[in-house]
Amino acid sequence: MRTRTSLLGLAFLTPTLVLLILFFIMPVVFTAYFSFTNMSTSTGIGRGEYMLTDTLLRRLKSEGLSQADVDAVSRETFTVDAAGHDTAIAAGVDKRFADDILDNFAGQSFSDARDFERALRGLRSAPRSPRAVKEAARAFTHSALNTRYRTPDELSAVLTAVAPEVEEETRDLIVHRSYTGHVLTTDNFRKLASAPDTLQLIGNTVLYVGLTLAFFNVSLGLFLAILMFYLPKRASGIFSALWLLPRITPMVLYAVLWKWFTWDSGFLPTLAAHLGLPSFNYMKGSIVTAWITMICSNGFVGASFGMLLFSGALRSIPIQQIWASEVDGANRWQQVRRIILPQMRWPILFVTSYQTLSLIASYELIWLTTNGGPGSSTTVWSLSAFKTALFNYTGNLQYGLGAAMALVLVVIGLVASIFYLRLFKFNELLTKPRIEF
Amino acid sequence: MTKNFAMFPIIVLLTLLTAPIIIMYVYLVLDTFSNTPPGALFPTSFTLEHWRFLIDPSIAGNVWIPTLNSLIFASCCTVIVLTISSTGGYALSRLNMPFRSFFLGGLMVLHAFPAVTLLIGIFLILNFSGLYNTLTGIVLVKAALTLPLGVWIMKGFYDAVPWEIEMAGVQDGASRFTVWRRLVLPQIRPGFVALGAFAFLEGWGEYLLPRVLAPSADFRVLSVFLATLSAPDTANYDFSLFQAVGLFYTLPVLLLFLIFQNRLMNIFNGGTKG
Repeated sequence: MRTRTSLLGLAFLTPTLVLLILFFIMPVVFTAYFSFTNMSTSTGIGRGEYMLTDTLLRRLKSEGLSQADVDAVSRETFTVDAAGHDTAIAAGVDKRFADDILDNFAGQSFSDARDFERALRGLRSAPRSPRAVKEAARAFTHSALNTRYRTPDELSAVLTAVAPEVEEETRDLIVHRSYTGHVLTTDNFRKLASAPDTLQLIGNTVLYVGLTLAFFNVSLGLFLAILMFYLPKRASGIFSALWLLPRITPMVLYAVLWKWFTWDSGFLPTLAAHLGLPSFNYMKGSIVTAWITMICSNGFVGASFGMLLFSGALRSIPIQQIWASEVDGANRWQQVRRIILPQMRWPILFVTSYQTLSLIASYELIWLTTNGGPGSSTTVWSLSAFKTALFNYTGNLQYGLGAAMALVLVVIGLVASIFYLRLFKFNELLTKPRIEF
Repeated sequence: MTKNFAMFPIIVLLTLLTAPIIIMYVYLVLDTFSNTPPGALFPTSFTLEHWRFLIDPSIAGNVWIPTLNSLIFASCCTVIVLTISSTGGYALSRLNMPFRSFFLGGLMVLHAFPAVTLLIGIFLILNFSGLYNTLTGIVLVKAALTLPLGVWIMKGFYDAVPWEIEMAGVQDGASRFTVWRRLVLPQIRPGFVALGAFAFLEGWGEYLLPRVLAPSADFRVLSVFLATLSAPDTANYDFSLFQAVGLFYTLPVLLLFLIFQNRLMNIFNGGTKG
């Protein structure tokens, strides 16, 4: 009985575990790993290749590689083979000429362009124009440059053939540096630690989370909950439904509503124009109004969380305490101050910590409304991580740096979740305790 | 409680606080049926032209294809979340197995953990597995991210099923699986409805995942459709059109919410994020 049960339990749990491992555990591991790489659009996501380019040679030269070595590895040789023949025909070289070249020089190598061209010109079918000959010659060119090699050994072998005089150490260095894939590095964290943007991002994030929590998620949530508590059921039902609207509205439409509310031809600027106040695009027009828009738009969603949770906590206060205070002649303010608020300490702590975590990580609405602007004045850490790694208009996505920024949030998230789990005994707060088997 | 306070000032105060919400949503409905001259605050004439996008694809493209895509996306998410949560929740609630408390604790950590920070890791995983830019990929990701809450809620519902029902079934010789399927599942139908509605709403409203993880796919969901429509670089933006499309997009949400209000409130109370 016991083993059968436990087998069934594991079987029942397996689908959950598979999905959670795939999309929770593995992303955490990947984020951690990739934050220590220089992965970006230019290195690609998959395995890299080995390719020698002019840019790389120039860089190596500035790092001390001798001119002779640079010339040697970038040397071109000409070998007549079937592959070159095919390339020549594909490049539009006369077929008879290409066939002739293959017939006469198959397997031969030339190390000098002029020798090869002279030999070609000697053929009966050679075209008149020197340019056409040069073009044909180019098809048979072999060079270590600008060719992709799958393994370091392949590139090393080619280099040995092209430039045998280059010392092995130098060759290994060149091969090593020609890797186009991502390499392990701690540069991301060093960059984050030294960049001046980092401080501004942290400042913005702290300000955004702090202000939204202070004004909306906690204060307004508590205020609304207390008002609803005293209002008759019908009125409080209407108002709590209204405050829930932003939460259930899809984020995209909610963002459109805020655009309509704050853009130049929208409601607030039109109203301001009627009243003779400055009227412009409040969402993007100035730093102060952009911040107010950002905090309000997020706050109106967040306030309902506090409202719901505090309302639940208020209902669990024994009503006899309120009655007793009324018998003693307490007014509403005294009731709130002396009876309700002291009992709200834990719910307030819960909302604060829980919402801090979700606010730190949330950027979707900011992205859809102010998009971090004007300039980068409303860019918070999570938005910046997202844009660095996944979404910017220049198209140069820095997965490694973005992952490093995300890792900071992941670590904060994990540590805080585990801490909250201990602090609040989640299950007691989230659901009523029930019999456990 | 006695009414030893004046209700009127409180109602006025609440209305003032709620004013932005009231204005936004009243105008959301109003503007789609009316024309407002530039610079005016109130609409002057009734019209249905903003709703012409429903039948005229030249205005904003065919809106019915994204609608169908959203429907498919949200339904797939709902089915996966319901299936997996109903077994996972039962295992955690009732079945005896090793590491049970560890799984429970892990689930609660994941529940509080802001999953959106994992987007970069998920993006790379989808790329490696070839699921990038596919419907399957975003459905799996969305379902997985809803799962900790789903399992948690289902566990709550299972916890409430009297243990005696199962005892009786086992006494009569049924296997635990049969007991679960024939006796316990019917008991938690309210849980199914609530979680189903919730998962559908989550999928229907999702924007970030389809936009980032399947950007050039040939299926576009309604949220992405609306976002591209109302992109800031659109030369002459037409708020009435955005509002009409947006209202069209949100109607199913409002309907579902009205129908399942009480059950959904339980889930919202259970602590969603945001």
